[in-house]
Amino acid sequence: MAGVLVLVEHASGAVDDLSLQAVALARQVAAGAPLAALLVSEGGRDAAAQLGSHGVTTAHVAEDERLAAFAPAAWARCVDELIDRLDPSAVVAAGSNRGNEVLAHVGARRDLPFAANVTSIGAGEPPTLTRVRWGGSLLEEARLHAPLALLTAAPHMVAAGPVNGAAPPDVEAFAPALEPADLVVQVSEHVDATATGVSLAEAKVVVSGGRGVGSAEGFGILEELAAQLHAAVGCSRVVTSAGWRPHTDQVGQTGTKVSPDLYIACGISGATQHIAGCKGAKKMLAINADAEAPILNSADYAVIGDLTEIVPAITAELRRARER
Amino acid sequence: MNVLVCVKRVPLTGGRIVLTDDEQAIETRHLGHTISPHEECGVEEAVRIVEQHGGEVTVLTLGPPEAEEQIRDTLATGAHRGILLLAEGEEWDAQATAAAIVTAVKARRAAGDDYDLIVFGNESADSGGFQVGIRVAHALGRPVVTGLKGIAIDGGHARCEQEVGGGRDVYDVPLPAVVTVLEGINLPRYPSVPAKLRARQKPIERITPERAGARLEKLRLVLPPGQGKRAEILGRGPDAAPAVVDVMRELGVA
Amino acid sequence: MRLGKPVDRSGDVPQRARNEATIVLGQRKLFQRFGPGLMHAAIFWGFVVLFPTILMAMIAAVDREATLPWLGSQGWFALLVDVFAVLVLLGVVAAVGIRKVQRPARFEGSHLGEADLILAMIAGIVTTLLLWHASRIALGLHEWEAGWSPVSNALSGLFGDGTLTEVLERVFIWAHVLIILSFLAYLPHSKHLHIATAAFNVYFGRTGPGGRLEPLRFDGPEEEMRFGAGTVPDLTWKQTMDAFSCTECGRCQDVCPAWNTGKDLSPKLLIMGIRDQVFADGPKLLRDVDFDPSPLVPDAVPETSVWDCVTCGACVQECPVSIEHVDHIVDLRRHLVMVESRFPSEAEPMLRDVERASNPWGRAQTERADWAEKLGVRVLEPGEPAPEVLYWVGCAASFDERAKTAAESTAKLLQAAGVDFAILGPREGCTGDPARRMGNEYLFQAHAEQNVATLNEAGVTKIVASCPHCFNTLGNEYGDFGGSYEVVHHTELLADLVREGRLQPTADGGSITYHDSCYLARHNDVRSDPRELVAAVGEPVEMARSGKRTFCCGAGGAHMWMEERGGAINEERAREASETGADTLAVACPFCTVMLDDGVRARGDEIRVVDVSTLLVESLEDPPPA
Repeated sequence: MAGVLVLVEHASGAVDDLSLQAVALARQVAAGAPLAALLVSEGGRDAAAQLGSHGVTTAHVAEDERLAAFAPAAWARCVDELIDRLDPSAVVAAGSNRGNEVLAHVGARRDLPFAANVTSIGAGEPPTLTRVRWGGSLLEEARLHAPLALLTAAPHMVAAGPVNGAAPPDVEAFAPALEPADLVVQVSEHVDATATGVSLAEAKVVVSGGRGVGSAEGFGILEELAAQLHAAVGCSRVVTSAGWRPHTDQVGQTGTKVSPDLYIACGISGATQHIAGCKGAKKMLAINADAEAPILNSADYAVIGDLTEIVPAITAELRRARER
Repeated sequence: MNVLVCVKRVPLTGGRIVLTDDEQAIETRHLGHTISPHEECGVEEAVRIVEQHGGEVTVLTLGPPEAEEQIRDTLATGAHRGILLLAEGEEWDAQATAAAIVTAVKARRAAGDDYDLIVFGNESADSGGFQVGIRVAHALGRPVVTGLKGIAIDGGHARCEQEVGGGRDVYDVPLPAVVTVLEGINLPRYPSVPAKLRARQKPIERITPERAGARLEKLRLVLPPGQGKRAEILGRGPDAAPAVVDVMRELGVA
Repeated sequence: MRLGKPVDRSGDVPQRARNEATIVLGQRKLFQRFGPGLMHAAIFWGFVVLFPTILMAMIAAVDREATLPWLGSQGWFALLVDVFAVLVLLGVVAAVGIRKVQRPARFEGSHLGEADLILAMIAGIVTTLLLWHASRIALGLHEWEAGWSPVSNALSGLFGDGTLTEVLERVFIWAHVLIILSFLAYLPHSKHLHIATAAFNVYFGRTGPGGRLEPLRFDGPEEEMRFGAGTVPDLTWKQTMDAFSCTECGRCQDVCPAWNTGKDLSPKLLIMGIRDQVFADGPKLLRDVDFDPSPLVPDAVPETSVWDCVTCGACVQECPVSIEHVDHIVDLRRHLVMVESRFPSEAEPMLRDVERASNPWGRAQTERADWAEKLGVRVLEPGEPAPEVLYWVGCAASFDERAKTAAESTAKLLQAAGVDFAILGPREGCTGDPARRMGNEYLFQAHAEQNVATLNEAGVTKIVASCPHCFNTLGNEYGDFGGSYEVVHHTELLADLVREGRLQPTADGGSITYHDSCYLARHNDVRSDPRELVAAVGEPVEMARSGKRTFCCGAGGAHMWMEERGGAINEERAREASETGADTLAVACPFCTVMLDDGVRARGDEIRVVDVSTLLVESLEDPPPA
């Protein structure tokens, strides 16, 4: 039976944003054919209800107490079983860490090619798709030569959108036939974070600094601005290599990928590997002394000048506005 | 401990990407090359593991003959030997790459060299397929843990740590295993010049692998739309602060 | 010194002889500070003239009636002895005055007690000499006409001709000889060792351009390679001699920009530290092949001192005995960087970027000629014939927004004057100067070889550079790697063009003070051409520390990429510039541009920092800018 299967991640009874984007991509691929979702373990049933308005007709929930802790091979086994049962034309997941991991396992088990971080897919036999390279600074058009397409949706590049008035999907629970080998790699322990402050990955506003900040102490003015905006402080790779800030603050292709409402880039020139980390931002403001810096090709707004003067001025203006 | 680290030669693109006329690759004339930051950290981690537990680090890459430069760099940071799988010209897709690596690993195993740990970067800087490590692990029948920010080897087991929202997830897997690591797991050392000179003498085995047909076939590369977008200049110097705050209000962040 | 590694200081004998004559005999460097110079010259020339009297004293100590043949009876020599003995005494009095009354800051850290003892001994030597001569005259034993030695003659009036005087004569001669012998015995254990080594140190001092560093060899077996100075046996024999020649005068310390802004580095203390380590480890190393010498950093020299240096060379210029502090510091850095990988972490991205991206900013080389596009500057492609002059832009002017204006101005001026020039664009790689000054000689050489290959292949013969560091490296250092070109700084070329009338500026630029870049004015003696340009566009006003005695902007020695501890060198220089009251601070270097602009802004001063080339462009524009 043709149709498309989408792996949906969820937490605390709600579907992950990136998975909703994956569902939107899956809808594109399905082009009218039925859309089935796979949710794994606890909370799956509750989360499944949301999916109706996104076009999912059937939600398969894999239930087994051994699935309580994440195990990528076990999730891949669940996907496998549904593939055998439903015979979809494609399996789609979010381009999240887990989504990419699980589908790569499926591809390895079934000797199928897997296209990660896809932004769109066309019709045709075999289908032509567009996927992301260099963290988003380059796109690749490719063709998938396989009876079953394995795809993950590039984060924040496919718009999630509900369809009109659809009912909640049918929910079918199933117990996958897990084998011990599937559970060798499984989370055995969770260590809570000790860090305080706004998490970079979740912040609504990020104030980020690059080479132009000049020193570790130079970040003081950025921290003040961040405090005014309840923002997280990030930095570019040069800053972490120089030892001014820890790697956990690094925004970039190999650091944290952020998707705030506003990303403020201070003294950052705009290398592609940095842009890869912040292009998820809705809007970007660049503060730079150089009007020709590459970052101005990615930013929505810019202020040209000395950041050591501009950043405190913005902080002061915010304080003034607050007092009024 | 016998550790294999797989790396890939990638260009340093700088602020903008320029494609070759045939749209098949990035124009790399005048560009320097390196390996992905994830992989640099992977090499450093491997070297630290053998410094602690004894053994050797082998670095493998699939790439053009110029990729020897990258292998020599890793040899300078403490790896012992290299394997260069020569793939002239066209780039190979993830499945083909994984297959070639598996063939090389099996050949080494037949020669008596088995790897307790195989390390990959979480994804390559350029094609970002997120899958070569996992495919290699499956083909060799070994467990694979990805996206690691911490590894500790203890008597035939690897304790692996992943950063997730709200903390870290820990996995405990038996060796031999495959892991993929993220930049930030360590701070790679700056190689000394004597080490660089010695690296020139370390052995590199050259193999020309067979190539499987591309099943994720690259048609062409395209620059994303919106390149050459110009930011709206809100002003110059601190006088632009009120305009900035206005924008922030509009966006609902201030 | 037997332990010292080889270094070639032969060759260029005429220059070396000239140096001996002017610096040693003429005391030229000491006279850079007139008062103390006069004081030391008195004592030094006194010692030279009085040297034969030591022999005479030894002879007479044994045989009361004997003296040196011929010289002993020359009246004119007796006169010289008297005159110079008095001069030495006056010198000692002056020295005591300087040390006890004036107490200059440069003596901070020096062994003052030693100096006092030495001065006392010197005073003792000449006093006993005069008294001895006086007593001999009184006894009628003098071999020369008494009238020739007025002072001794006058003093002889104190003595009768009886037995007391005979005893005193013996007392004085033996006292004189004993003090001399004690002095000689004390010599090797004190800073006065410089008496033995200074003349040699000056002879073997550098004769080539100050900006050239001695390359290391990386071919050959590893055991024979030298990666800078990690322990005492790594020092070259010249460096060891440097350590022995230090008199702790502190003139170097006085002019060091790092020391003057509250940092740990004092060139004097550095050399003293190395000297002490040589004395500590040297004998043990000579006795016992297996002795493990202690590391120079941090045992002899604190690590912070090594990195505080901006390689401005002010210390080397001041030193009266030709100690080459910068060579020491660079060698210490070489060991730290190349062998131990121990250096300020903020410099690591710069080193990696120079290595991989061929520029310290890590930008893509393809963007290097972006600034030149809209000006229509010719980019030399491979295979094309070389232009008359190759304009070497440098990484700073290619990528840093403040430095770029100098490149744009220079290009416009060259175009206006009709000069046939081109740039290398993406094929221009970093000259390697920041890597070399950091101590990464290996990375530097890789770049030097690459650039020389590019330049030679293109058939380039003449190069103009707008960056003094590039200018220095291309002109003075690339010769060691097969690259010999005629290299001029842009101010030199522009001054030529103005003199030839190909550029005709008007002097309406207001008051301008010109900052001499260390690598131009001190290391390469380019001082008058930029001044001609400044005078052609405005009214020049000089700072106190100018010309060869300029004060660094703080960016040298790879400090453009390192954090600064303590007070800011650039702000100190900005202060000096603002205090001239000039409207404009003219510079001729991209680093100086950025550093001094930062300094001026940090201080909130009104003075405008701008490259000489831009001033020239503005002066040619019609109408002149407001």
